[in-house]
Amino acid sequence: MSPSIRRLASAGVVVALGLAAAPLPKIQFTDTKLKNGLRVIISEDHSAPVFTLAVTYNAGSRDERKGRTGFAHLFEHMMFKGSENVGALEHPHLVFAAGGIMDATTNKDRTLYFATLPANQLDLGLFLESDRMRSLEITRANFENQRAAVKEERLLRVDNQPYGRAFEVIEDLAYENFAYEHSVIGSMQDLDAATVDDVASFFKTYYAPNNAVLSIVGDVDTKVALEKVRKYFESIPAQPAPKPVDMTEPAQTEERRTSIDDPLARLPRVDMVYKIPPADAPDQDALQVLATVLASGRSSRFYETIVRQKQLSSGTIAAFPDGAKGPGLFNISGTAAPGKSIADLEAAIDAEIERVKTDPIEDWEMQKARASARSNLVNTMASSLGRAVALGDYAMFENNPNKINTRADAIAKVTAADVQKAAQKYLVKAGRTVVVIVPKATAPSSAPSGVE
Amino acid sequence: MQTLMRKTNVVAAVAAFAAAATLGLHAQAGGQQGPPSSAGLIKKGKAPVSNEVLKVKLPKPQEADLPNGLHLMVLEDHKLPRVSFQMMIPGAGGYYDAPSMTGLSNYTAQMMREGTKTRTSQQISQALETMAATLFVTGSIAGPSAGMSGGALSEHFADVFDLGADVLLNPSFPAEEWDRLKTRAKAGLIQQRTQPGFLATEMFSKVIYGDHPASRNSATPASLDAITRDAMVEAHRTRFVPDHAVIAFAGDITLADARKLVEAKLGAWKKSGVAKPSVTNPPAAPAAKVYLVTRPSSVQTNLIVGGQSMTRTDPDYITLTVANRVLGGAMGRLFRHLREEKGYTYGVGSGFSATRHTGSWQASTAVRTDVTDPALTDLLNDIASMRDTPVPADELMDAKRAIVAGFALSLQTPEQVLNYYLDSWTYELPKDYWDTYPANVMAVTAAQAQAAARKYWDPSRLNIVAVGDGSKIKEALAKKGELEVYDADGKPIASTLISSR
Repeated sequence: MSPSIRRLASAGVVVALGLAAAPLPKIQFTDTKLKNGLRVIISEDHSAPVFTLAVTYNAGSRDERKGRTGFAHLFEHMMFKGSENVGALEHPHLVFAAGGIMDATTNKDRTLYFATLPANQLDLGLFLESDRMRSLEITRANFENQRAAVKEERLLRVDNQPYGRAFEVIEDLAYENFAYEHSVIGSMQDLDAATVDDVASFFKTYYAPNNAVLSIVGDVDTKVALEKVRKYFESIPAQPAPKPVDMTEPAQTEERRTSIDDPLARLPRVDMVYKIPPADAPDQDALQVLATVLASGRSSRFYETIVRQKQLSSGTIAAFPDGAKGPGLFNISGTAAPGKSIADLEAAIDAEIERVKTDPIEDWEMQKARASARSNLVNTMASSLGRAVALGDYAMFENNPNKINTRADAIAKVTAADVQKAAQKYLVKAGRTVVVIVPKATAPSSAPSGVE
Repeated sequence: MQTLMRKTNVVAAVAAFAAAATLGLHAQAGGQQGPPSSAGLIKKGKAPVSNEVLKVKLPKPQEADLPNGLHLMVLEDHKLPRVSFQMMIPGAGGYYDAPSMTGLSNYTAQMMREGTKTRTSQQISQALETMAATLFVTGSIAGPSAGMSGGALSEHFADVFDLGADVLLNPSFPAEEWDRLKTRAKAGLIQQRTQPGFLATEMFSKVIYGDHPASRNSATPASLDAITRDAMVEAHRTRFVPDHAVIAFAGDITLADARKLVEAKLGAWKKSGVAKPSVTNPPAAPAAKVYLVTRPSSVQTNLIVGGQSMTRTDPDYITLTVANRVLGGAMGRLFRHLREEKGYTYGVGSGFSATRHTGSWQASTAVRTDVTDPALTDLLNDIASMRDTPVPADELMDAKRAIVAGFALSLQTPEQVLNYYLDSWTYELPKDYWDTYPANVMAVTAAQAQAAARKYWDPSRLNIVAVGDGSKIKEALAKKGELEVYDADGKPIASTLISSR
């Protein structure tokens, strides 16, 4: 991106009132493939003395085999436990001591590692990422330690949380193909079954340069950065491409439904998911607009009608397409207000879904979706991390890093008719799965008192 | 990482590192130190580190005082076509609420968004969202300030500010919207009691601050019923005054334009002439005890160990910042020991607050139920070793460099830089505070860090709060000190009852 984006306004604030939306600046980048297949995307931006380095590996929980759920994420933890020239935890230690931030995250489709550092630490960032891509060090002691940490993560995020298990039940019921049927965090039993040998083989298969995208965004010189990338990464040998996972789902022909008891919850919740196509499908733009109309903000239909007017739910009712690279889900989730029935809440959500299919979508709702896409784009530009992640993701999964520049325009082209068509096509009962979470009867009284 | 996480599907992505940063303050790395925490980190020393700390010059906001007493700050940054603003109004926060009306400030602020003399709640939401703009009015539950903030693309900003001014000056507090908001709020009170983190923080604040307003964590059903429309109208009239307030703009706007905008839209906002309300310090925290909040079906124990800290202007602030980073920052001793060596937890860390009155320091974690005893023992030992042994030179240097070098990252967003100067305004810090901050951090010695550890982490004043399955952890906790037991609704219960659950 050009560091100096031209100001829009000129003579005073009153002028701004009638200001037309100016075209947004394009994010410029280079896109290079090294000899070993590593795809390198560099986007210069000298507006702050900082850069982000992100490595996206084409490996996620969908690549796990039966009996090893949770493994891709457990493996991610091992990437901080040392390599040939970097000691255990030395990687995060050095990044933090240099004033940087870093982390990693795993989902169904990919594993992402990232660090944002002051501009004078480019060599450090590249060295650390390349050393672990080349020569991960795997010891039993480190593995046992991270197995314990990941099991605690599961307790923290799932087993000790109200509604914590809902997503696992939903995925298990909605999907038939193992790839997406199981959760990223995995089961305790499978985490216990994983071995050090699994780590070595997963590393060799998936953590190869030809299975990754490296993106660098920020205060770097493209030519210099690319030379350094070659120096650190190009000698890492390529590996045979991993066998693509079969992601196909048989067509769903009738609604699936279950309910679960939750001893930690106090109010009932309904989660419903509808099958939708993968993230790169043309209908995704319309689905994004549909989610905005239904559930984004307090002007949304769910909030205005169900929360504010009917008061059947006391919080927001969420709706979003999940962005999966394979067969995806359009998620809707709402918690009942105290004393209101979950059946009434579900019926009200259904009524809004039927209404969006048949009754007109208003101009302001479409305007809202366009403005939201445009604002999201500007916000993505504001941080080097946001840009690095988006460039890496679009390059890896859609072979189209420039989508970062075109997505807002694509959403602007969606018509109200497109949105209704998408709702009619995908938000159908035969394609959905519903899970109701019921607080277990032993829950305390619904009139809590504070500490007095 | 909001960009990486889905709203409801929280486990769609799972990460390697617990954010010690969620505690707020300082994250860091460390070298090795005697007693417990030598296992986690191995330094091979081969990576090419630039030992220079990148010299960073924080841009300074332009400032002006307006005739109605409102202080104006502008940090220009035209690289993106967007503008944000943030207003803080000391004296309008929940600190000043009557105890029976806890939450008055919070809900007065929320109600300002629910209708003005000329706009309905729905019209306000629709106008904002069709511009993809934000506008928040917030009143602290426990702190002294209320405020308003918002942002939009440049092309919409004047419209958004116009709306914000209407919300600030002309709220109508519609009775039927208050009924609706109250109903939603009461449901929120139920939901928050399912979160072990909330239960732990609620108990900790109560213990550390006693009856001081800083102890407040949330409204109660009774206080919600006590808050009337009249009380909100009065709170808005008397507390939301310009001569106590600051408004700060960041982004694609100049001082001249910001000033014109404020004078045009907030010209009718009249000075109160009343002195800015003061705050008092809480009474000293009580002698150390152990507080157990029972949460049946818990599979983890949430632990908080902590006490009072200091005011923001206390000379110890920077020293404790450094010491805390060594102990409880990202990759600090607690993390290396409890997670990387012992595998007791996904995340552990420490942090502190310091405001116009004395704040609090706390170390916190969540561990599986059956290691509650050894995890708490290790945590207390790590705190003790900070008191007993000076931090080794390299570990101290790493902590200080991490804090100073991190400044470069804040330059990516003007809002973040502006926050430093809002702190300067709020706490009346010296003019050159942020210019000298890096040197002052680097000047902290091991002896000073140890003295701070002894002063603020005095074991006779460190209280322990645990939330978990009482029947399984009660005995372990009783070994650490005198035990008080509460249920998940905050009511004291006789500790003999829980074992029979």
